[in-house]
Amino acid sequence: MVEEGPAGNTQISNGPNSQAGPSITGFGVKGVDDQVPRTLPYSIPGILHFIQHEWARFEMERSQWEVEKAELQARIAFLQGERQGQENLKRDLVRRIKMLEYALKQERARFHKLKYGADMLPDNKELEEAEDLNGDNYLTGVENHSWKQGRQLLRQYLQEIGYTDTIIDVRSARVRQLLGLSPNNNDLGKELATLPAVNGDQTTKRVSDGQGRRVQAKKHPATLGEGALLESEAAVIDTFSFLSTENDLEVEDDEENEADLIDETLADELDRIDVKKPKPKGMTRSNEGMARMDDVLANETEEALSQFDFLGSDGADGAGEARTQGDGTEWEKSELAAAPPPGDNDWNVDEQMLSRLKQEYSKDSKHSRNMQRPKRSTLQAMLASLGGNDDIGLPSVTAPCAGPAPAAAAAAAATASDSLSNSLPADDTAVDEAAGPNDANIPFPAGPRRPLPAEEGFEPGFGLGELAGLTIQNDCELSYDLSSSKDALRKTWNAKYTLRSHFDGIRALVFHPVDPVLITASEDHTLKLWNLDKTVPAKKTASLDVEPVYTFRGHTGAVLSLAMSVSGEECFSGGIDSSIRCWKIPSSNVDPYDMYDPSVLAATLTGHTGAVWGLSVHSSNNRLLSCASDGTVRLWQPYTKEPLLKTFTSENGLIPTSIDFVRSDPIQMVAAYSDCDAVIYDLETSQPVIHLESKDLSEPGVLSTIHQVVSHPTLPITVTAHEDRHIRFFDNNTGKMVHTMVAHLDAVTSLAIDPNGLYLLSGSHDCSIRLWNLDSKTCVQEITSHRKKFDESIYDVAFHPSRPYIASAGADALAKVFV
Amino acid sequence: MADVTILRRNRPGTKSEDFCKWPEEPFEEMDSTLAVQQFIQQTIRKDPTNIDEILTPPEGQDEGVWKYEHLRQFCLELNGIAVKLQQGECQPETCTQMTATEQWIFLCAAHKTPKECPAIDYTRHTLDGAACLLNSNKYFPSRVSIKESSVAKLGSVCRRVYRIFSHAYFHHRTLFDEFENETALCKRFTAFVTKYNLMSKDNLIVPILDEQDGIQAIESEA
Repeated sequence: MVEEGPAGNTQISNGPNSQAGPSITGFGVKGVDDQVPRTLPYSIPGILHFIQHEWARFEMERSQWEVEKAELQARIAFLQGERQGQENLKRDLVRRIKMLEYALKQERARFHKLKYGADMLPDNKELEEAEDLNGDNYLTGVENHSWKQGRQLLRQYLQEIGYTDTIIDVRSARVRQLLGLSPNNNDLGKELATLPAVNGDQTTKRVSDGQGRRVQAKKHPATLGEGALLESEAAVIDTFSFLSTENDLEVEDDEENEADLIDETLADELDRIDVKKPKPKGMTRSNEGMARMDDVLANETEEALSQFDFLGSDGADGAGEARTQGDGTEWEKSELAAAPPPGDNDWNVDEQMLSRLKQEYSKDSKHSRNMQRPKRSTLQAMLASLGGNDDIGLPSVTAPCAGPAPAAAAAAAATASDSLSNSLPADDTAVDEAAGPNDANIPFPAGPRRPLPAEEGFEPGFGLGELAGLTIQNDCELSYDLSSSKDALRKTWNAKYTLRSHFDGIRALVFHPVDPVLITASEDHTLKLWNLDKTVPAKKTASLDVEPVYTFRGHTGAVLSLAMSVSGEECFSGGIDSSIRCWKIPSSNVDPYDMYDPSVLAATLTGHTGAVWGLSVHSSNNRLLSCASDGTVRLWQPYTKEPLLKTFTSENGLIPTSIDFVRSDPIQMVAAYSDCDAVIYDLETSQPVIHLESKDLSEPGVLSTIHQVVSHPTLPITVTAHEDRHIRFFDNNTGKMVHTMVAHLDAVTSLAIDPNGLYLLSGSHDCSIRLWNLDSKTCVQEITSHRKKFDESIYDVAFHPSRPYIASAGADALAKVFV
Repeated sequence: MADVTILRRNRPGTKSEDFCKWPEEPFEEMDSTLAVQQFIQQTIRKDPTNIDEILTPPEGQDEGVWKYEHLRQFCLELNGIAVKLQQGECQPETCTQMTATEQWIFLCAAHKTPKECPAIDYTRHTLDGAACLLNSNKYFPSRVSIKESSVAKLGSVCRRVYRIFSHAYFHHRTLFDEFENETALCKRFTAFVTKYNLMSKDNLIVPILDEQDGIQAIESEA
């Protein structure tokens, strides 16, 4: 390349020369013939040009690589998150299947009882199992409760561990949504065939789960063929984010519970689990085997899909149910164990590439890496120890394929076992052993049910085949159908954290722009920093207690207002002592009882001569607006020699009550005054631009002070909260009121608009906060959250700028965070 | 609406001198769960030096809650002296240990193993710790009724926060006097713990009650 470079380069550098005139060119040509080695390749401008040219090329390539790398990293992150979501979904479904099995067993027991009277010999074993499976709680339940009651109990149990109705509903809806894809099966099948190449070792883990596989199939074209299926991608991302947000909250709880449960599950149960493992794994293999057979696609993929259908419908059948959780992890582990070997062997390139990418990614997120590593190694160990049981599954599952395309199936089985044998020498013999059960399976009818013979062998007369034909699941399914569509659209906020530590009313609170961290300002003279990740281990209650990680002391007297800088590194507070203080926010992981650091109080802005009631930070230049009872609004540039930039005074000597920057126009601010007037100022000229008048609109004699004014994050709309229970909306361009509504039973004290500008949150002295849809101006949810002190209740509300948190602060010295 | 009933509110824009300047509300009419705090703050606002009245509970008031709410109010107001100390002369370099007289070095109980914190850290940690304890859902889940076992915790909180007074008195006397003139907090605290027997007399080392007349004399001059 370098050798070629100068040649190409000289051509370019000659360009101008050739334009200069024919005589020179002629001369030049001669020169070229004579002196090629000496002058031409090494002329200074030529070299410079070459270097520049090459440099530009390298730069371009580098940036291309970087773009590529970023894309791949994003995809990895996406896939990992997706995997988590799917694993969770799968675990849930597995639990439900388990639960259904239990219900069925009870049903069968009752059936036997009715049919043969008290003679229950054939079922005794099953009953015992059922009892073991469910622990002490069910010992009496087996006789007294019908399966319905048992299910109810488990449902309650599920709710206790964090699966609210909504989530269960939404998930069951999703399951059905996924199952409803049957018309696309052929397409999906083809995609499925190409999948393992794409997924590598990451996604194969979840392959056995019908849903997981389907979602994959749906997602991959979107992520791969860029722009191909944007719509479906959007949908997928939606569901993905939905799942992942839930995961964050729930996975931990589940795992704890699972750990407990595993201890409780008895030997019987474990045996059964081992038997079941082959089912999913085998399917994985057979499917991958098929994936490699380029020419035999349609039949087998359909077949495989029907298996997945079976699995999926199985899961859906148990939508309202739950399994004991012990085997959820076991199963998952076995799948994980199954996943790596095929990846290593058959998809060598992808595996390597992916692992390399993953290492890169792990630099960014070591955490997730850590999560994966140990799993993988334990899995290998598990795989080794699982031995025979695992291997039985392999051929038994490939058996169904033997019907339509025996040769293909055999090849698939062979390759699958080959891939295994590399990591597990013992497998070769295992395959031979497995021949027995394999043959035995062939007489079984109905393709989809074939993967289960091993289980049937252990529990004669009781297989999932019958479960599939069962009708008991439907009644609960229907009820889910009705509610899920509504619930999926609407999020309900629930109190999750209670922030206690202030001694008096909390006047203001702000969230950190990114972290789950917030700061409160109270009439007890202090500000406190709270980290929502640091909760106090409490008894099992709905809401968690948080203790502050830092207390800011500096104000003498009540702190009334608070604002957070855009970076989240500092905050500003205004107090009754007329001062504005600038704080450097300590790390949210600081030891609450650390040494005193005087630098936390970075600066004090003095100038106001009255209580500072309002603060607002500009979204881009970090300027600060303040309003105080001395009748002035001031604009500051903190941390400079002369921080005070401008002072605005109302012509009528009115007192400003609240201020905000106009978010849609960065050089404007809106100030509310005590006479119920709001004015938009131009910050450059310091002149009022427009009056937003609502004075004439309120009833005469009624005090309608504006408690807070907020600017819409994107639109030229200003929203005001009034003492006379109203919220009013103004158009910034015309100054006219565009909407007014009686929003609360008492004075509206505080407003917050979510970062996307879709929802409005209001707080009132009627003790409640209300969430409004800004589009329809309708109340979406009301939450009673604080108690009254004198005639005041709620002082402030806030949205987290980037996370699904809302918060309220009250006169009862508490702050609450809702999720 | 506003004409008919008095709304006791500090609306935005209220001047600091008008803060909480509303007609007194008789205790019987306070129906909030925070009535005791309201009542205490109202009496203090009326005249911070009238300690007898401040410490006189309304009829039928549960004594545990009364003591608890008073202690909350003390800790709240102690933030004022903490601010004065940390902005003033009490720096980790100058007061490396929490002492009052030479007799004792107080160890900070906020840490797993009690530590010899500098005086300002001791003050901050003690107040933070008290805030956590007094707001603990475990010990004080309600502000209307309090378990007897939790009331017993109040004594130790009193003992610890009292050291802040004693440190300020013995090491930052001008600052202490300034604060005491504004709030009479130490005097009120001493009267409070004496009245409810929350601390032993030996520990009350700030000779505040003896100086009572002197302080009153200063106030009347002012």
